Amino acid sequence: MKRTQLKRTQLKRSALYLALLMGAAVAVAPYLMTLNSALKEPSRVLTTPAWEPAFPATLGNFAKVWSEYDMAGFLLHSLVYAGAVTIGQVVFSTMAAYAFGRMSFPGRDALFWGYLATMMVPQIVTLVPLFLIMRELGLIDTYLGLILPTAFGTPYGIFLVRQYFRTIPRDLESAARIDGGGTWTVLTRVVLPLSRPILATLATITFITTWNTLLWPLIITNGDAVRVVTLGISALKGQYSSQYHLILAAAALALLPLVVIFLLFQRHIVRSIALTGLK
Amino acid sequence: MIDDIVPLASAQGRRRRTDRRFARHVRATAEAYALLAPSLIGFLLFLVAPIFGVAGLSLFDWNLMGAPSFVGLDNYRELAADPDAWRSLFNTVYYVLLNIPAQTVLALLLALALNRRLRGGRVFRVAFVLPWMAMPVALGIVWSWIFDPRHGVVNQVLGMVGIDGPNWLTDPAWAMPVIASVNVWQYTGYTMLILLAGLQAIPHQLYEAAAIDGTTPVQRFFMITLPLLRPSLFFVLVTNTIGSFQVFDTVFVMTQGGPGGATDVLNFHIYQQGFQLFRAGFASALAMVLFGLILLVTAAQFLYFRKRTVYDFS
Repeated sequence: MKRTQLKRTQLKRSALYLALLMGAAVAVAPYLMTLNSALKEPSRVLTTPAWEPAFPATLGNFAKVWSEYDMAGFLLHSLVYAGAVTIGQVVFSTMAAYAFGRMSFPGRDALFWGYLATMMVPQIVTLVPLFLIMRELGLIDTYLGLILPTAFGTPYGIFLVRQYFRTIPRDLESAARIDGGGTWTVLTRVVLPLSRPILATLATITFITTWNTLLWPLIITNGDAVRVVTLGISALKGQYSSQYHLILAAAALALLPLVVIFLLFQRHIVRSIALTGLK
Repeated sequence: MIDDIVPLASAQGRRRRTDRRFARHVRATAEAYALLAPSLIGFLLFLVAPIFGVAGLSLFDWNLMGAPSFVGLDNYRELAADPDAWRSLFNTVYYVLLNIPAQTVLALLLALALNRRLRGGRVFRVAFVLPWMAMPVALGIVWSWIFDPRHGVVNQVLGMVGIDGPNWLTDPAWAMPVIASVNVWQYTGYTMLILLAGLQAIPHQLYEAAAIDGTTPVQRFFMITLPLLRPSLFFVLVTNTIGSFQVFDTVFVMTQGGPGGATDVLNFHIYQQGFQLFRAGFASALAMVLFGLILLVTAAQFLYFRKRTVYDFS
């Protein structure tokens, strides 16, 4: 009796593992197949199944997209765009989050609710007026035009950091204040050093989101001057839809930096996604 | 705070105390607004102003050049009679209905599985979240290839079991389900993580007590897990629905709204009207409709979840 029961739980456990393994395989397979196929000889990309290992492997496809298209340019523009937005978001969201979370001032709650309410507004709603503002400022096709709308922090970023700041014990701050520290000192010397995990998370999420953004660059840029990688490879797809060896190599180049960043910071990200849902 | 514990005898002292307190209040307010200033500039200029701007623009006819002409509610009348606008509305709702239930159920099942303390749970978690950060444009390329009728993995696998797969993305019946399944692939892991956190916050004693009372695991799921998970479920449903109403990137890369308008969702339609046909007013009216729709759905979800009591065991 006991033995059959044990066997049954073991069987159930194995079935569970199998289901999870299959799920995980589905989750990572597109990445692996893309990289695998991008490493194949061009003629073999279409003639062999995607799961057949690239052997002999070649970097030829990567070399070709790199030299024939301005891949280096696309990646560089995206790096500047995502980097600048990330720095702005971390600095300015932190400042605002500190004001909202740790200070009291007239208008605080109304303002904070205003920020939160705009999180429900779809991006496309603001797009036409935003384009007009940028055109008025003469910022079409410039880095500034790309960066400005999100560089001053976003309601999401402010909310995320504020929630974290509120968990820091007030006593720590009071101690610094008694020692004569002003707001800025308290923020930079006491609060920020304690907030590294949430700031790393915010930076990573912002970088990933900005790196992946298509819609705003599509509208605010029209030339090669600041063409980001999302635009670069979607144009490639349009032109060479059947030349999978090239567009897959380009896709791999756009995906890989993020995988590395994600794996480096996955501990923080996984925890903070869970946190945003808890509130 | 220190002032509070220093006893003050004279009225003069009391006045000095209020003065000082007022000065400190002013100073603190000034400091707070100084910290807020950059974010407030961005907020007002690039978020609030455009929101009012779009409402205003929707009352004009304008090709982004020359002078806009005021047309009142004509744009709204026109789009109410426009079959393409209605089609994009239905396509969007269809996409949300394909995407949200599938994603939520799958995520819940995965979260339940990972909630048992399994060896390698962390590795699974990371693997499942990996799609969440993939660039939708690159993904569009990869999934177009996976669903390619001749060279794609899907039809190759189907071919091995003797099924002749359809031309997924050029078949009007299949294009939208394919787009939705790409989104399910991308966001199920993210949703799973939030639900998993919700599951882990449910006190263990409840299950033990219920087990002593002789309940079955299925009963425990419906009587304990589901009611206590309601806040997390609410959160993922609301945020994912808002996100789904705005699908754009995969459509842009994979189908451009085709075949025959089968994947022309609201976001894509607005983009085309506004930035390819330069009908700024009409696109703004469409954007207002999308905004209204999202508000409506969010409010409905909010009311539904609020009506049902959330139990408090603390």
